[in-house]
Amino acid sequence: MEYLVQLVISGLAIGAIYGLIAMGFAVIYKSTGLVNFAQGEMTMIVAYVAWTISTSISGNVFVVAFGAILAAILLGLVIERIVIRPMLGEPVFATVMVTIGLAVILRSSINFIWDAYPHGLDLGVGRDIIRFGNIGVRTGQIAVIATLLFLLAAIWAFFRYSKFGIAMRAVAADDRTALLMGISATRVHAIAWAASSVIAGIAGVFFAISYDISPAMFQLGLKAFPATILGGLDAILGSGLGGLLIGITENLAGGYLGSGMKEVAGFVMIVVVLMIRPFGIFGERDIERV
Amino acid sequence: MLKYLTTVSLLLAGAYLTGSHALAAEQGLTDTEIVIGDVEPLTGPPALLGVAASIGHKMAIAETNNAGGINGRKIRYVLEDDGYVTARTIQGARKVIDVDKAFAMLGISGSGQSIAVMPVLEKAGIPTVINVAPVKFLWEPPRKNVFVVGQSYEEGIIQLVTYLAEKNPGKKWGLITQDDDYGITVRDGFDTVVKAKKLNVVYSGNYKKGQQDFSSDMLQLKQSGAEVFLAGGIIGENIAMMKELEKLNIKPVVGIFWPGRVEPVLKLMGPPADGIYAVDYVEPFAGPAGKAFLEKAKGLLSEGEMKGINRYSMTGYAAAKVLIAAIQRCGKEPTWACTIAELEKTKNVETGVMAPISFGPGIRFSDQKLHIMQAEFSTLSFKPVN
Repeated sequence: MEYLVQLVISGLAIGAIYGLIAMGFAVIYKSTGLVNFAQGEMTMIVAYVAWTISTSISGNVFVVAFGAILAAILLGLVIERIVIRPMLGEPVFATVMVTIGLAVILRSSINFIWDAYPHGLDLGVGRDIIRFGNIGVRTGQIAVIATLLFLLAAIWAFFRYSKFGIAMRAVAADDRTALLMGISATRVHAIAWAASSVIAGIAGVFFAISYDISPAMFQLGLKAFPATILGGLDAILGSGLGGLLIGITENLAGGYLGSGMKEVAGFVMIVVVLMIRPFGIFGERDIERV
Repeated sequence: MLKYLTTVSLLLAGAYLTGSHALAAEQGLTDTEIVIGDVEPLTGPPALLGVAASIGHKMAIAETNNAGGINGRKIRYVLEDDGYVTARTIQGARKVIDVDKAFAMLGISGSGQSIAVMPVLEKAGIPTVINVAPVKFLWEPPRKNVFVVGQSYEEGIIQLVTYLAEKNPGKKWGLITQDDDYGITVRDGFDTVVKAKKLNVVYSGNYKKGQQDFSSDMLQLKQSGAEVFLAGGIIGENIAMMKELEKLNIKPVVGIFWPGRVEPVLKLMGPPADGIYAVDYVEPFAGPAGKAFLEKAKGLLSEGEMKGINRYSMTGYAAAKVLIAAIQRCGKEPTWACTIAELEKTKNVETGVMAPISFGPGIRFSDQKLHIMQAEFSTLSFKPVN
């Protein structure tokens, strides 16, 4: 039983990171109809910025958090304005290719701006181990699960009750009609990119605290993408929960079926779920697959 | 007058022929310059080894150029980035050989990349010294123009596991490897000792390249009761494994392999890194040879390059020294044939960073002596134990 509990807890912790990045995918898709293949790279860049702030300005957790969020907002806005907005009206395939190109550029920038060595993000918090009997959990892992749950609730409330959240839903449902109602689609897109960058950045920072930062970190995006497909590409909350499901499934498969099954299990789950629900567990509408 | 003109004409013709012969004889040579090419991963995670190896090459080249170059010719170093993508390695090698007209090559990228680029090197016939990822395919069978400085991955693992087995008799063993050619080599070396020493292996895992969370793998290791653990990751993987072991509150005897034996890793692993074993054929930086290397580097490299130094810089430095010495021995007009012949004659060349290097007729592998080392967390260093 202890073995199972430990597997589930570890699965929830890594799944929460996948879930946050997956929510970033869904925020952009829901608002713009675009799959951003640079999501993992954006996660990595924000984590590197957080590490730079911690080593060159201040290691205070609040300073780093504020700086990282600010950097994430800027990153999202800059990408949307310079790279994505000029592609408005172009075929979806071309825009998706642009995000793939962006991913390669961001990935390469790590070596140009920083270096190839792994680094630890030491903020004095998140690395302590709390033990419940023989079960050990890092405080950072507890924090990332709590953050995911908080964001799930906050985003639900945002889309349900806030004016701007309703505007975003309107643009997602029918951008032409939304435009006729006086909603600026470009503004909605910009905010979506900034929000997506912040959510992914939070995941990156938590991952860096629990593990480390390295140029391989972008691969988190590859793990989070199945989570958003599983939850539903247009379902922000579903994507978050999809991350948790993928994390737990991977860990249980790795723990009971062997290491080799760990990476496969999530994809097997996706294949099965998509055969039953082609739009994901929580997906609601017809999704154009690319 | 006619006699004078004839003499001048003959002299000019002779000078032209001699000059054109020198130019036509070998590429990458001018009166003042000699080109040495290299292809390394300079971007992406493997840049950790590619950048460091190129820094070692640069260091040996700067040292030679400061001393007047190779028989008066300054070395120009042409470095291409392959991003650890095999197709780009081949493309980069072709560019360095055909466009930059390199006289000789150093490097080259990872094991898979070196293997893939071998036909290009063989066909060109360019003198090449490989130092980054020594795998048997590179020297078995021996290729005329390709020399390898280092030790085989398999032999490294055999010596590490043998040492740990003798130090921990009767203990239960665990192993995890990556699912690629590197992992297969590590596993082959491990299995050799398992059979020879009849080791009791209670856990054997195989992770997918790129895996970052090892919680279930290390939990399985704990369940198995393994007391000695060979962590077959490279850099980030080994760090993640050690952090999981700390979380699970278990402290097996841990061995890691040289691709991950870089000092910053110890800091990231934290206190659990104390006492882990490693194997390598280059000197540890904490020893007198390592300290001397770093001291020498200060005068030859920029501040940024100094930060990129790791064990691969030592392998790069040693390979470049061997190649430069061979070209130097060919005198004023070096040729590929002479350089290859001189490389073959390399005998006990001291580089200060590893045991003396030797090749021989039909021997293209330097077969370096290995050391077992142990990590000391308080000083973030590795110290030899044998």
